[in-house]
Amino acid sequence: MAMLRLEGVARDFSDGRQVRRVLFPVNIAFDPHELTVLSGPSGSGKTTLLSIMGLVLRPSEGRIFLDGEDVTTLGDDEASRIRLQHYGFVFQQPMLIEGLSVLENVLLALGVQGVRPNSDALWKAETILKTLGLAEAAHMQPRLLSGGMKQRASIARALIKDPAILLCDEPTSALDAESGQAVMGILKRIAIDEGRVVVVVSHDFRVFPYADRLLKIENGMIASDTREQTGAERPIQT
Amino acid sequence: MRSLVALRMVVHDRSSTAGSLLGVVAIVFLVGQQLSVFFGLLSYMSVLVDHSGADAWIMSANLRNADSGNLISGRYIDRILGLPDVAWVEPVLIGNGLFQTSDGSYETVRVIGLRRPRLAGGPWQFARADERALLDVESVTVDRLDLAKLGHPGLDQVREIGGKRVRVRAVTSGARGFQGTLVFASIDKVKEIAKPPPGRYSAILVRFTEGARPEDVLARIRAVLPGCSVYSTAELSRLTQTYYIQNTGIGGSFVFSTVIAVLIGVVIISLTMYASVLGRARDFAVMRAIGGRRVDIAWVVVCQALIIAGSGLFVGFVMLATLLNATRGSGIPSFFPAYVPPALAGATMLVSLLGSLVALRVALKADPASVFH
Repeated sequence: MAMLRLEGVARDFSDGRQVRRVLFPVNIAFDPHELTVLSGPSGSGKTTLLSIMGLVLRPSEGRIFLDGEDVTTLGDDEASRIRLQHYGFVFQQPMLIEGLSVLENVLLALGVQGVRPNSDALWKAETILKTLGLAEAAHMQPRLLSGGMKQRASIARALIKDPAILLCDEPTSALDAESGQAVMGILKRIAIDEGRVVVVVSHDFRVFPYADRLLKIENGMIASDTREQTGAERPIQT
Repeated sequence: MRSLVALRMVVHDRSSTAGSLLGVVAIVFLVGQQLSVFFGLLSYMSVLVDHSGADAWIMSANLRNADSGNLISGRYIDRILGLPDVAWVEPVLIGNGLFQTSDGSYETVRVIGLRRPRLAGGPWQFARADERALLDVESVTVDRLDLAKLGHPGLDQVREIGGKRVRVRAVTSGARGFQGTLVFASIDKVKEIAKPPPGRYSAILVRFTEGARPEDVLARIRAVLPGCSVYSTAELSRLTQTYYIQNTGIGGSFVFSTVIAVLIGVVIISLTMYASVLGRARDFAVMRAIGGRRVDIAWVVVCQALIIAGSGLFVGFVMLATLLNATRGSGIPSFFPAYVPPALAGATMLVSLLGSLVALRVALKADPASVFH
């Protein structure tokens, strides 16, 4: 069974006078050990799709299944709980909170609902930061970091919870080529080695070589899916 | 963790924190100063009653305040002395007179005549000499804060009140009346100055015996003296203060200035916290996206408000204490009953939370989907 499955999911936006469909019904499933790249031109609906997958935006129609459970119409608090327990997010901009150190930003992902991170969590955060090459930056303010370091810190924030699903919105767009490759290498490793669902929204062609599966979206519809083209049911696990 | 986030935000966003802090400090300092003056004036209004050492005051009928009674007969003293549970009964005679200063000018003073040797209703705190000075028939006291007004009379110097010779033998501290300068003297001296009808007094003070039930004794006195006003000390104090608050405009003026001070503070807190939260809207959206609930966002904003309010309270009270200390020896009325600082602190906390409501509303609108745009 796929970890995350969307059935007939569509989304309309209204400006008060007219309703515009930005995402037409899609049926799609995402599996662990797989890095999926969602690509497409600006305004094609890929960020909308990512938002719906991340339970921060409700679909106008269709159903979302997480590990077989229908999570389409969860209440706000319940959706927050699901996001806290199962999702990690890496945004286009790192969006670290100024005033908190890098380490505190990472720990916030665990303590955002008021739970005080224990010593195990602290050890884990430090380990993740070390793995991502940020051990020295743990107690620094985000503004003192380079763009690449900030993005790696935001990946650390996403990983601290051991999320089953990692959703990344243009994670390399604000980075130089070298930093972008480093970040994609990390995301690839997370998907393959740690068995997570990793979905990356990007229209940067340099990201495509890292994809186990490439989905192209155009005009709110899935234009192509490499899994369907190759007939592969599951990605090759390494 | 949410409280830590709030603290870090408060520390990091220095300019908006300083603005909000200013609002809280404005409330504490301005309202606190108003309250100290108000309670200072209240204490002036009933100063003689509050410091009399008596349990009950007997004055003329239909009394509106402690300063407006007619004279009553001294024959009542013996009738009350005969009642059970009465420890002592002392008359007080209050008159007005002109105090001749050292340069020959005059100041109106209120002369409080006390019967020796108990001197009930007399001064309670002295800056120089003590109550024994009043055992002499021509002795008077003047208050420390009135010395300049009265031409700096020295101890043992002879002056005139109402054309009668008096000798300044003690300097009191804190004996200031709402209706003017208070001078304590013997009852015989006041009789000379005020020339009341023989055997008549302004009030009769009663002290109950230990363990007596005040309500019972008061009821007995009222039964014996149906033509008089009989009040417990607390009742008369309250009556007098209420009268002046309602009839002098002090109450309305105080409420108006307090409301203005609170409004200024609330507006400052609201605007600065609103601006702060607007600047943090993206951070709140991130918190929502990574699993924070609305209640978690509310917690952070409320914590910020409480941290700012707590800090503002500290700064405000330090400033207020400095001001009160600096003006303690001056003629500015200032007094803080023990319950006022905690009440002011609690009210300021509430007002600060009120000021953060607009900011809270904005923060709660943070859309987690916006972080993907």
